[in-house]
Amino acid sequence: MTTVGIIGAGGISGVHIAGWLQLGVDVVVHSMAGAPELVARHGGQVAASLHDLLARCDVVDICTPTYTHRALVEAAAAAGRDVICEKPFALTVEDTEAMIAACAAAGVGLYPAHVVRFFPEHAVVHDAVERGTLGTLAVQRYDRQGGMPVAPWFLDEELSGGIIMDLMIHDIDFARWNAGPVASLRAVRSVPDGSGTVAAQVVLTHASGSVSSIGGVWSARPVAFRTRFEVAGTGGVLRYDSATNPATWVNGAVVGADGYAPKAAIGESPYLTELREFLTAFQGGPQPRVTAADGLQAVRLADAARRSLTLGEAVTVPAEQPADQPTELEEAR
Amino acid sequence: MKVALMSFAHTHALGYARLLAAMPDVELLTSDPDAATRPPGESGGATLAAELGVDYVDTYDELLAWGPDAVVVCSENTRHRAHVEAAAAAGAAVLCEKPLATSVADAEAMVAACATAGVPLMVAFPVRFSPAFADLREQHRAGTIGKVHAITGTNNGQVPAARAWFTDPDLAGGGAMTDHTVHLADLVDALLDGVPAVRVHATANNLLHPDAAVETAGIVTVTYADGTNLTIDCSWSRPASHSIWGGLTMSVVSDAGLIDVDPFAPSVSGWSETAANELALGYGPNLDESLLATFLSAVRTGATPQPDGHVGIRTTAIVEAAYRSWRERRVVEVNPAGRPAAATA
Repeated sequence: MTTVGIIGAGGISGVHIAGWLQLGVDVVVHSMAGAPELVARHGGQVAASLHDLLARCDVVDICTPTYTHRALVEAAAAAGRDVICEKPFALTVEDTEAMIAACAAAGVGLYPAHVVRFFPEHAVVHDAVERGTLGTLAVQRYDRQGGMPVAPWFLDEELSGGIIMDLMIHDIDFARWNAGPVASLRAVRSVPDGSGTVAAQVVLTHASGSVSSIGGVWSARPVAFRTRFEVAGTGGVLRYDSATNPATWVNGAVVGADGYAPKAAIGESPYLTELREFLTAFQGGPQPRVTAADGLQAVRLADAARRSLTLGEAVTVPAEQPADQPTELEEAR
Repeated sequence: MKVALMSFAHTHALGYARLLAAMPDVELLTSDPDAATRPPGESGGATLAAELGVDYVDTYDELLAWGPDAVVVCSENTRHRAHVEAAAAAGAAVLCEKPLATSVADAEAMVAACATAGVPLMVAFPVRFSPAFADLREQHRAGTIGKVHAITGTNNGQVPAARAWFTDPDLAGGGAMTDHTVHLADLVDALLDGVPAVRVHATANNLLHPDAAVETAGIVTVTYADGTNLTIDCSWSRPASHSIWGGLTMSVVSDAGLIDVDPFAPSVSGWSETAANELALGYGPNLDESLLATFLSAVRTGATPQPDGHVGIRTTAIVEAAYRSWRERRVVEVNPAGRPAAATA
């Protein structure tokens, strides 16, 4: 029986623990706060300490704030455990490289939880791109809009990396997955004011010449979460808007204690799909659709976007290493 | 009122001709001498005028000698300047198809020529007459949506197939960035009340139409003096076989939340068995009609119609900067920077 050790008990932990329990694995949780409550809601057991968690599990699932990832990945690797780490891997390229090196040295697996690749509407589009349905990609457009995150660390640029590193990295990764390596990029962000609303725009120029426009919003107003995209190539165009694609649409609400709200309109949770794919890989199955190298490149691009903000200038991105060759990093260590 | 239509080069000319011909108080005369230089198969000249049922003369000299009160210029982009200057010299009020010009120098010369002649110059940006946009602008002015934090816009369409000049850099001045950046630049100019654009970044490609001598996809980011960022997808990314030409959308991040304006959304949709394609029956107002009504009313009253030549200069400056940015692969300053909004009054 596999045991997964979840570190952290925040928002993403609740989604992951539900997925793990559905997959039939045992779960232990360690967190600085909230672990007993999380376990009470979903199931599993509370670990007495990080040390206790690492001793009891086969796979570590790191669901903590970004700035804590490196130390926890290194601890998990030192304990010889395979690791799943919430995105972004880390705030800096240096930390991410250290995490990958630690796992490589320990001979354990490491995957970044870029869950957007597992969302079914994104997955069907990527499949279509892979099959050649859209021909040569020329232009992609992504929007990701929601309310401001509740946990305060997200809003602290030093701790989360801000909206580009935390939110827009999803679409940066997905655009790169579709159109290939990025050659240069430019980012702009709204001027901070008392309102708290943050809006950023990132434009990628891929090595192929293809271009991508990515918008992200953390709105101070309570707004419904919305994603939309359009992917256009020589073979046609695909578009999606979460606001116009409800399988169930409710006008009016609340009968009974919790009120009616559609809960599983699109079938399996993409988080469950993601965790199953990682677990299967740890057990000797095929490589998952997102790898540590992808997670590192996503951090490189988000980091370059943050530099672009600081510099007020477009930033060139160094060419990617071919994925099937050992990286300089691996050779150096 | 005597209204002259110079050139059928831009296909919008056909719509203007039909609308003007139907106005009881307008006498319309047209001329399209450059039709002969178009590739075989492209419509134009006296034949097209006959099809439209409008009067026609063979030369611009005859057209302007007729003494029009107003001239609508629908020629190829790089010919706008000569035609606007000729119309102004003939003492006519001018409505020029967008973009006003393909360089700031040309746009400024055209504004100066009209000022010298004492005639109004208006640029054909019909989308700002959409009720959805007009409402947004009014509510922004009234303070209902608070501060605008960021804007993204799309103006996608098919690669213009009816006229080859759209993809001829000598006649068009450029491709999708020339054609499809200016509508959104105009809307944001109106929304922000003339706050000048200060910095531009652009990237583009011709992957969708590798044989085209111009860019066919592009993304332009404009930063305005008040810090507002606007990113425009100006791509000709709508497939040629699509039943709908394209569209324009604008998403505004404001203190009031997220506001999406889609002027062309009002339509009944379905499927055509005969065309084996989507069927969309737009039922929104005819924006060209509002544009022409505004222009002709200004000609009658002597008022300055908006969007005027200064809007034309500001939007042209953004496109000019976009090409400079794309060429030099860096963020560039907009020239002329800091032109005050008061200059439009």
